[in-house]
Amino acid sequence: MSARAAPSSTQVADLWRERPRSRFVRVSLGLVTLLLLGSWFVGDFSLSDTFSAQRSENLGRFLSEVRPWPLRERLADGTMRDKPWDWGVFATWSGERLSDGVSDRDTAGGLESARGTLAISVLAIVLASLASLVFCWFAARNVASPQPFAPTGVTPSARHRWAWRVVVGGTRLLLVLQRSLPEYVLAFLLLAMLQTAAWPAVLALAIHNSGILGRLNAEIIENVDARPLVALRALGASRTKIALVGIAPAMLPRFLTYFFYRWETCVREATVLGILGMASLGWLIDEAQVSGYKYDEMMFFIGLGVAIVLLGDLISAIARGIVRRAS
Amino acid sequence: MHGTPCGFRLEDVSVQFGSTPALTDISLTIGAGEAVGLVGPSGSGKSTLLRVMNGMVRPASGRVHVSGDELGSISRRALRRVRATIGFVHQELNLIPNLRVAQNVLAGRLGSQGLLPSMRGMLFPSKQVIANAYAVLERVGIPEKLFERTDTLSGGQQQRVAVARALFQRPAALLADEPVSSVDPARARDTVSLLTGISTEQGLTLCASLHNLDLAREFFPRLIGLRAGRIVFDAKASEIGEAEFHALYDLAAAEMMADGA
Amino acid sequence: MAPEATRRPFPLRARGTVLLALLVAGAWAAWELELSWGDLTPNEGGVRVTKSFFQRALTPALASEASHVPEGTPPLLVLSLQAAWTTLIYAAASMSLALLLGLFLGFFASTAWWAGDPVGGRTRLGRTVAPLVYGATRVLIGLMRSVHEVIWAVLFLAAFGLTPLAAVIAIAIPYGGTLAKIFSEMIDEAPRGAALALRASGSSGLQVFGFGLLPAALPDMLAYSFYRFECALRSSAVLGFFGYATLGREIQQSFSSTNYGEVWTHLYVLMAIVIVFDLWSGKLRARLTA
Repeated sequence: MSARAAPSSTQVADLWRERPRSRFVRVSLGLVTLLLLGSWFVGDFSLSDTFSAQRSENLGRFLSEVRPWPLRERLADGTMRDKPWDWGVFATWSGERLSDGVSDRDTAGGLESARGTLAISVLAIVLASLASLVFCWFAARNVASPQPFAPTGVTPSARHRWAWRVVVGGTRLLLVLQRSLPEYVLAFLLLAMLQTAAWPAVLALAIHNSGILGRLNAEIIENVDARPLVALRALGASRTKIALVGIAPAMLPRFLTYFFYRWETCVREATVLGILGMASLGWLIDEAQVSGYKYDEMMFFIGLGVAIVLLGDLISAIARGIVRRAS
Repeated sequence: MHGTPCGFRLEDVSVQFGSTPALTDISLTIGAGEAVGLVGPSGSGKSTLLRVMNGMVRPASGRVHVSGDELGSISRRALRRVRATIGFVHQELNLIPNLRVAQNVLAGRLGSQGLLPSMRGMLFPSKQVIANAYAVLERVGIPEKLFERTDTLSGGQQQRVAVARALFQRPAALLADEPVSSVDPARARDTVSLLTGISTEQGLTLCASLHNLDLAREFFPRLIGLRAGRIVFDAKASEIGEAEFHALYDLAAAEMMADGA
Repeated sequence: MAPEATRRPFPLRARGTVLLALLVAGAWAAWELELSWGDLTPNEGGVRVTKSFFQRALTPALASEASHVPEGTPPLLVLSLQAAWTTLIYAAASMSLALLLGLFLGFFASTAWWAGDPVGGRTRLGRTVAPLVYGATRVLIGLMRSVHEVIWAVLFLAAFGLTPLAAVIAIAIPYGGTLAKIFSEMIDEAPRGAALALRASGSSGLQVFGFGLLPAALPDMLAYSFYRFECALRSSAVLGFFGYATLGREIQQSFSSTNYGEVWTHLYVLMAIVIVFDLWSGKLRARLTA
């Protein structure tokens, strides 16, 4: 074989030089790799700072105070000592957290906040999906075109083409602007303007997610099998009729899948937005800390948040399973 | 270049998938360097038989000997060594579509390498290894595709890549499962003659299952007819007449009618 | 599921039920939160803030609007770009950790590495230890994902104090979990044909994983990682609200001192870097997964 390889080596080199490759993909990967590695040289992410003596002491105190307070006691010299673990005491303490929230503070109870977290996420995703179901038609290039699903050969006028291009471009710009700002920033800004408890959180989540769902729905519409729609068009169906009769029924399963995926994210975000002072678990998590470093209660509410998120994921997984089987 | 050709000996091999028998009491011997065509209607057990021969399907009973090794009684590691000596051309080709042709060809030799050498070999192949891959592609007629993305090739070209991958393995035997089922008749002829040509040229044991009886009779000196998991005939191609072939298919058709399928 | 079944449109009656259920769920949520449309109109103070905030939307500040600027403060635009740079660096550092976590845990969270040989089934290791490792990894991923990066940051602030590395780790944990989950699904859903072929030619389990399954899943994994980078930019900006030097801190400070022009400047900078990444990852996805 080597005897044959010798004369071909220049041919191989030629083939290698002429190999098809995407400069865009290579440059992108190169840039991102540079960014990922370079960030560690540019940023000041030092381990020694994070684990300095003072910080270790901080960590030690934090860990000792994670234990529920009825299960530890302060000695005469001011140091903390663990009492033996007692499930009964723990259960009583947990019950108080669920009904009263942060101790000695006028907060909502844990259960109420958990329900509020879920309610915020549900209302936000419902509003977001309603808005996205309106936007998506104007962002889908196959529907928002001068001659939707017309047989090839029909050339619309240049003015028409430009008008529709502006519609698609404008809608897409709106959607990308909506999703470019994080929910937390949106909620922070809205809070100063609305000053009611839950609307800022709901609207922030709804604005951000309708940007995402709008784009995803537009992609669903663009990927719908066009052949039956061309046939409908040939029969004289209007744009609206094609959208409502031909496309909307076919896009429902995928829409629902995305709906539940995004809802999972909404539950997570709704938990956090409480830190800004809204009726969700984040409020209790933040309050437990700022009202005297009650790390035990903070951990309890974080745990409750985990439970809510896992519950949301479970419901979403079941719902997506039903959608998959029904479609 | 290639290992010593290996022979296969099957003794009373039966295979079950769940409760349905796929192969029943198959006994046959394929000598080293022999070229054998497997014929029979679909569902007759051709694919299963080929998979039994390289240890990808374990028989419920019976023994499979590949050159001195009995597949049921050797260690996992030894089984991998045996598989590394047997090239297999899959019906669905089973190439990695988004890799270059060269990488797909190189993947043929993974079985005879350790993990670390194989990683180096796949990611940073030496000039010599690439030259070898080029030579194998030359043999199957598409050397100029060496660095193309595999999924940009036509169906016939991809099939040649699959053959090249099996050859790059430096096998002692070549098993091919319906290698021409997905290409047009002209290409089918090319591929079969390529396989049998390589077999005679390098003294390689070859066993291929084929739908096309004319091709089978033209290119293979020995044919084995399978029906419903049993051997119907096993003879020289020249000795098999229309009667045997008709029996193979008519009976199968009659059986299907009886099953109500 | 039969392929012809997937073609059937969603049952007509079910469609109506589904949409009705969504509306009912929304109504329940609004009732639970005691919300009314009336609350949407801001009160007097809110109107003032809203008005003066949106008045500056088209005229973002180009220089600092504070009445007293301490000596040595860089100009506003420099400040904003510095914060954007920090946002990018925090996001990149988090993503590099998250990718390591995601690849490592994603491997163990997939079924492909221990599903075993079609002949002889699994090794003794594959039968005993592997399912345990798989299960434990999936639980770990679930826990990492179920705590939001901001909550991780609050937790680390309490445990360590304000150190940059803590912010990076706070983002890396939930992102690593999410990447691991998605990576493992992509690997498990990758076509198994090539893996079968490699196994048939004597490759070991790890070789089959690395050269049979991973390459097929890699374009999707790359495209998804790019999308997550975009999300990491947003998360990194938000951590500014907790004292880190990213865009969130600038937004919060300018807003609290009612310098709304400055807020818009920072918002536009944040939008710009996120949109650049959005377009970039969209184009890359189109190239990779075509």
